[in-house]
Amino acid sequence: MPGAVDQDTFDRSRRVRWLDLDAIFRTRVLMIGAGALGNEVGKCLALSGFRRVTVVDMDHVVGSNLNRCLFFTQEDARTGSKKAEVVARGIMDISPDARARAVVGRLEDLPGSFYDGFDIVLGCLDNIAARIHANSHAYHAGRPYIDGGMEGFIGRVMVCLPPDGPCIQCGMNRSHAKVANMRFSCTGEGVVFHEPRLAAEITTTSLVSAVMVRECLKIASGRKDMTLRNTFYYDGQRNVAEEMEVPLDPRCPNHPPQVLQVSENHIMSGSVQ
Amino acid sequence: MVLLTFRLKVKNAETGATVEMELDGDNSVDEMIESAATFWNKDMGAYVLRKGKKVLRGGSTLKDAGVMAEDVLELIPDPEGG
Repeated sequence: MPGAVDQDTFDRSRRVRWLDLDAIFRTRVLMIGAGALGNEVGKCLALSGFRRVTVVDMDHVVGSNLNRCLFFTQEDARTGSKKAEVVARGIMDISPDARARAVVGRLEDLPGSFYDGFDIVLGCLDNIAARIHANSHAYHAGRPYIDGGMEGFIGRVMVCLPPDGPCIQCGMNRSHAKVANMRFSCTGEGVVFHEPRLAAEITTTSLVSAVMVRECLKIASGRKDMTLRNTFYYDGQRNVAEEMEVPLDPRCPNHPPQVLQVSENHIMSGSVQ
Repeated sequence: MVLLTFRLKVKNAETGATVEMELDGDNSVDEMIESAATFWNKDMGAYVLRKGKKVLRGGSTLKDAGVMAEDVLELIPDPEGG
């Protein structure tokens, strides 16, 4: 006969002392993008106990998504199901206690106040312009933003903690600006098509999404002290995983002078907030 | 105005190849990224240049970024797919 321990879905999670499961259950997560990364992040969120998840994506499922997207089926590709709806449904299939909501539409069409309704924002995006948009809105709303990116066997995760941490835009340069408005699109509809150097690859996707959700768990559990402060960089071809520092850029539009002043004061006073 | 010219190496993270470049302190990190990407015929995309564990700010001059003679910088792709 199985004991109570075996009946508790989250028994193994409860054994990790710093995890605050009640807080995780309550945390309102905004996941932007429901492609390869969004599928894996959605899976990890659901299994980790996140129950209040909103998924935003404007795209529909196509056949070439199927080698790296857990929730998508041949039927979804045949009927052109909306990615956000399929992922939201998949999250609820895994976690019956979850209330996942799908928003089918362009990120840029959402009002700025939309971000106020969430505690953490996860960027599972496929282009630089959308990243800049999500990053700045989350930053100005004071919400932690966790961004994942990948290309073939290379992956990256950055955690942006307002009001004084560096953000995604701090690490960008002229090469980013050149491709900022070109989508790494799966469907090529209504966008300037920019061919990725390498297609997304499921093992890298899994690793990047795992790191993103792990950082999400730390923030939701009130353990920002444990959070990744720099960029996590992974190269699966060279077997390299390391942290890289992205310094705050004083010319970045997301860091007005008063924010930098706060940042300096925190450093001066030794605060770790 | 006296411009200090110095030599340094840039490593291609994807292939391990290196190229020696002669620059002055007023060259920008952006210019260096473009030069290295062009030299290796890199596909269009986002790249960053790092010194050790630190990502260099694109608009900075090499002097302001703390780049010195004989440094080995690394050009790495910034993965933007999702």
